[in-house]
Amino acid sequence: MRSFTATDAVLSRPDPADILNKEALAGDFDRLLAVNGPALGRLAASYTNTLSDRDDLLQEIAIAIWQALGRFRGECSERTFLFRIAHNRGIAFLARKRAHVQEPIGEVDVRDPASNAEAELVQEQTAQRLTAAIYRLPVQYRQAITLLLEGLGYGEIAEVLGITESNVGARLTRARQMLRELLEKQI
Amino acid sequence: MNVDLELETWRREWQSVSVTPPDLRKRVERQSRFLRLEIAADILVTVGIGVPTAGWAMVSPQADIVVLAVFTWMLLAVAWAFRLRITRGNWTPASLDTRAFVDFLIGRCRAQLAAIRFGAILFAVNLTFSLAWVYQHRPRPHIAWFSWPLDLVWLATVAFYIFLPWWNRRKKRELAWLLGIQEQT
Repeated sequence: MRSFTATDAVLSRPDPADILNKEALAGDFDRLLAVNGPALGRLAASYTNTLSDRDDLLQEIAIAIWQALGRFRGECSERTFLFRIAHNRGIAFLARKRAHVQEPIGEVDVRDPASNAEAELVQEQTAQRLTAAIYRLPVQYRQAITLLLEGLGYGEIAEVLGITESNVGARLTRARQMLRELLEKQI
Repeated sequence: MNVDLELETWRREWQSVSVTPPDLRKRVERQSRFLRLEIAADILVTVGIGVPTAGWAMVSPQADIVVLAVFTWMLLAVAWAFRLRITRGNWTPASLDTRAFVDFLIGRCRAQLAAIRFGAILFAVNLTFSLAWVYQHRPRPHIAWFSWPLDLVWLATVAFYIFLPWWNRRKKRELAWLLGIQEQT
């Protein structure tokens, strides 16, 4: 794999092939964000407890995706690739903020156009309750459960987190148990 | 409740949350430009300090001016060598798995702590040499305009040595947190 530094980006001269490549990358980037934007937003929300932090983290994730996209060779699925970047950025973000368990995120946009106002309110409350409970989980359990809730299988979660599938199973069992307890306490 | 039903309910609730800021693409482009500017600024500082001193030494090749030019270039070379050494392998390969990425972050954090120690020493060496040189060449009798840039240097020095321990503490806390995460994973 070619090593790339930011100095290269400054010093290298653009040639037509690079420009075409850039356009293709920009197209891929837009498509990936359009398809996975909401999932990335939810993952970002699991690392923060304020809207401004969440947006900052989402921006960092998007930048990291943009920087890594050119090196993506399809060794794993696009989803695995994106979620790896999202969780990595989440960890880096937490390290900087040294976040501890805090109050749940204040406002989240919960939508279901088919439901009526009362049902919408109930749905919003239950979703916020779940988000708050997930935010209170230790990071390693939080990562595993959010990936499971996004629909990833054990193999994909193992790939994202760099652990074995049996380890994923153990984490998920513990995460679900803790989540259940937290949700019961909230009722 | 049935376990799979529970999971499906959570999944539905979780996926009903929608959070996507609309201007992500613009933010990314802006930030990418900013990163390039940062690198360009480093190069500009090197050229801005190194070239005038070298030029001065060439125009008036007196021993003390040559010493100043040589010292400046030595300092710049040492700073760049250190920077290249600690950044080698510390550019983000963003698609690492989380476990490897935590190791990577720990490495980068340790590099930053080393950079803080190195920066403190380099700054002190530079300050000692530069002030000694400047005081030796100060105009006699005293001229008012000569002293205010030196006052600024002292102020900058105080600010630098207040900032450094604060930044050091912050990085140490970050490292401790990351080591905790590494242990858990």
